[in-house]
Amino acid sequence: MSVLLDAAVQAGPAVRSVPALVDFPFAEGYVTSVIAVSLYVSVAAVALSTLFGVPVAIAMGFADFLGKRFVKSVINTGMGFPSVVVGLLVLFAVSNRGPLGPLDLVFTREAMIVSQFVLATPPVTAISLAAITGVDDAVGDAARALGGTRVDTALVVIKEARYGIATAVLAGFGRAISEVGSVLIVGGNIVGSDGVSKTRTLTTAIQLEARQGRYGTAMALGAVLVTLVLLVNAVVVRLGDTGAVNR
Amino acid sequence: MIRLDGVSHAYGDDPVVEDVSLSVEPGEVVAVIGPSGVGKTTLLRLLALSVRPTAGTVTLDGRDAWALDDDERLAVRRRVGMVFQDASLFDATVERNVEYGLRIRRPWAERVRDQVRSVLGDDTIPEAVEEALDVVGLADALDQDARSLSGGEAQRVSFARALAYDPAYLLLDEPTSDLDPRNTGLIEAAVREARDRGIGVVVATHDMHQAERVADRVGVLLGDGFTEVGPAETVFETPADERTREFISGELVY
Repeated sequence: MSVLLDAAVQAGPAVRSVPALVDFPFAEGYVTSVIAVSLYVSVAAVALSTLFGVPVAIAMGFADFLGKRFVKSVINTGMGFPSVVVGLLVLFAVSNRGPLGPLDLVFTREAMIVSQFVLATPPVTAISLAAITGVDDAVGDAARALGGTRVDTALVVIKEARYGIATAVLAGFGRAISEVGSVLIVGGNIVGSDGVSKTRTLTTAIQLEARQGRYGTAMALGAVLVTLVLLVNAVVVRLGDTGAVNR
Repeated sequence: MIRLDGVSHAYGDDPVVEDVSLSVEPGEVVAVIGPSGVGKTTLLRLLALSVRPTAGTVTLDGRDAWALDDDERLAVRRRVGMVFQDASLFDATVERNVEYGLRIRRPWAERVRDQVRSVLGDDTIPEAVEEALDVVGLADALDQDARSLSGGEAQRVSFARALAYDPAYLLLDEPTSDLDPRNTGLIEAAVREARDRGIGVVVATHDMHQAERVADRVGVLLGDGFTEVGPAETVFETPADERTREFISGELVY
């Protein structure tokens, strides 16, 4: 009998880990602080990626310059760049002997922002560029024929590409907030002695819970993460729609 | 008057238009007829100052457009409107589409203010927009989404969009080739209205009957330049050029 039980336990956590109530052995404010860190890091990183990536996409969409193809292949490579490698490189960069050493960023949220920025920028740029180059040439021609300057024409094309650009930002946000590898390496998954997250995000928290066998807790945090992503998507789509009505 | 003098244009080594001359007075409709691929669109683009001729001059009211600096040429170019075969409306309301030409002619400070107002839902619709839509019979379509229009309605909005900023010259590239008879009739009525307002209109078309209906003068473009340019009646009834005669009677098939 006991052999059977042992076998059942060893067979896997699934048998025992469906508790009646999800185990939440955390200090007050722990979960909200984890959510806050996740949002802070991802939103800041994607904001920076957008400020950098969308203008680059616009420049590439409207101007010809030396090395354009090279930039394009760098961006495309960046889309598939493994996040743990980015984490490692950023860790080297911010470590004491690295070029950013004096800034003292090891295991900080700001270091996480740097690595998320590196990860989110390629998809933001590439998808924005695809949206801009995908706009029918006839639209730009019409703007020009109606007396538009080059700037006017570019503005019209960007406006036509607005949904695609919003998609690009969302894709960047999706990559940033759901990412584990690099934030674990550069952030260190740290929680203060007061039980408040310093560099722990939802993803790294989930990873930790799962490793400790608290699958229910991990699932609950996972649900929070999915809800968050859905909410952000809804907000962006809604903004796009109101913009569409009053354009 | 807008005129081409000995104008040629080539894409690479391939000449599309060679040594062509044409002039259009305010308040007249000139039809350019000819088979597809003969360079009608390029001719209109030359008149619209959107492509630079490889030889010859384009003058508008006596000013050689390509001898001017960029700002001056923009000012000249802005007196010309063009409507394409495809309506290619912007993804916005009909009102915003038709207002476009007026909007971009305003100083930036005003444009930004207008944009903010529009986001706040406080739009004042310029009279010219309503008037232009009235000409094409779409005065009640102001708030519609441009992408929800039928092909014929979209093309009429496209016409209104070029008419709204009151250009001195209007260039129409096969404006009705995809339209049903009713929408074709409405566009042709709008062409006459434009002429009555003193606008010089050039219509490129492969529809000879349309040319007969709307044009004061007709230019026949066959291969290398105009074979004949003259009053519509003369060109259709008693063409002087043999190839023109063959083209018009349908004997010359491309």
